[in-house]
Amino acid sequence: MSFIEIQCGEVLSSVIFIIEGELETVPNAAQINTHLTTCVPCAAEIEHERLMHQMLQDVLKRSCDEQAPEDLHQSIHRTIREQMGASAGATEVVTQFSMTEIAIEIDEFGNIERREIQIEQTHIQHFIDDED
Amino acid sequence: MSSKDLVLESAADRTSRFERDALVFTNQLYAAALRYTKNPEDARDLVQDTYLKAFTSFHQFEEGTNLRAWLYRVLTTTFINSYRKGQRQPLIADNELEDWQVAQAQSHTSDQGKSAETVALESLPDSDIKRALQEIPEEFRIVVYLADVEGFAYKEIAEIVGAPAGTVMSRLHRGRKQLREKLADYAKELGYATEAPARKKGETK
Repeated sequence: MSFIEIQCGEVLSSVIFIIEGELETVPNAAQINTHLTTCVPCAAEIEHERLMHQMLQDVLKRSCDEQAPEDLHQSIHRTIREQMGASAGATEVVTQFSMTEIAIEIDEFGNIERREIQIEQTHIQHFIDDED
Repeated sequence: MSSKDLVLESAADRTSRFERDALVFTNQLYAAALRYTKNPEDARDLVQDTYLKAFTSFHQFEEGTNLRAWLYRVLTTTFINSYRKGQRQPLIADNELEDWQVAQAQSHTSDQGKSAETVALESLPDSDIKRALQEIPEEFRIVVYLADVEGFAYKEIAEIVGAPAGTVMSRLHRGRKQLREKLADYAKELGYATEAPARKKGETK
């Protein structure tokens, strides 16, 4: 068994991956885990980083919660309705469902024991202007 | 046995579906747009443009996939392509991103440093938090916002910003680091100690 000793620096440079739960994507992930169980300062550092990350998220979420002005909501609604009017009838999406019965098994009393159905869904874009 | 059903979605139906499913994110997108553009007028325009673009290409949106992530993608690409032109923000060189791991501090934080940092973060007003976010470079600001305010996973962010996942990870790391440094600076200005207090000579740790 080969034992590769890793340094605290190597662990500290992977903090972001540990915080994001992506340590396994880092080379030496296993050694980093082993190091963390034995190195008290590194374990404390990770704990601090987790706490800071949580606190940072909390203050950011608290600070960035502006509401859009009421007239923006109305203006978006208007824009969309205008756009719909401008392209009225230009395109319609037709969704076609096709159902095919593949197999059916019926017992001696006529009850359905097993049924296999295949459902296919296709979207077809319809340019109504072209048909005029 | 085979049967066929046709479901026709008219323009009006599609519009109603869009309004029902997409417009609930207006406030969220506006808050994000404020962080991106840094001013209310541009933020308004950006959200308006985003919804117009999203609506006209709504048929391309795959139902059942994440509509919120899709809207953020439209918002972010619209911002990158249209709004930051002329701002001439220096972009981060790619090679600079490669060796970010090496550049990082490789020593443990002292206990005093740790508690000072948490105290600083707890005491700052919202206006300082927003100011710090505005002052970090755009590439960092966007990924930090998407990860830490909106809660997107870094792989989702990679799709939203159109960058490789590794690049997102390094921007996230550096963005959070710069943000914390700025917040520590503000706290210091406000009189909160953010560094280990100076020790008298001879005093043992």
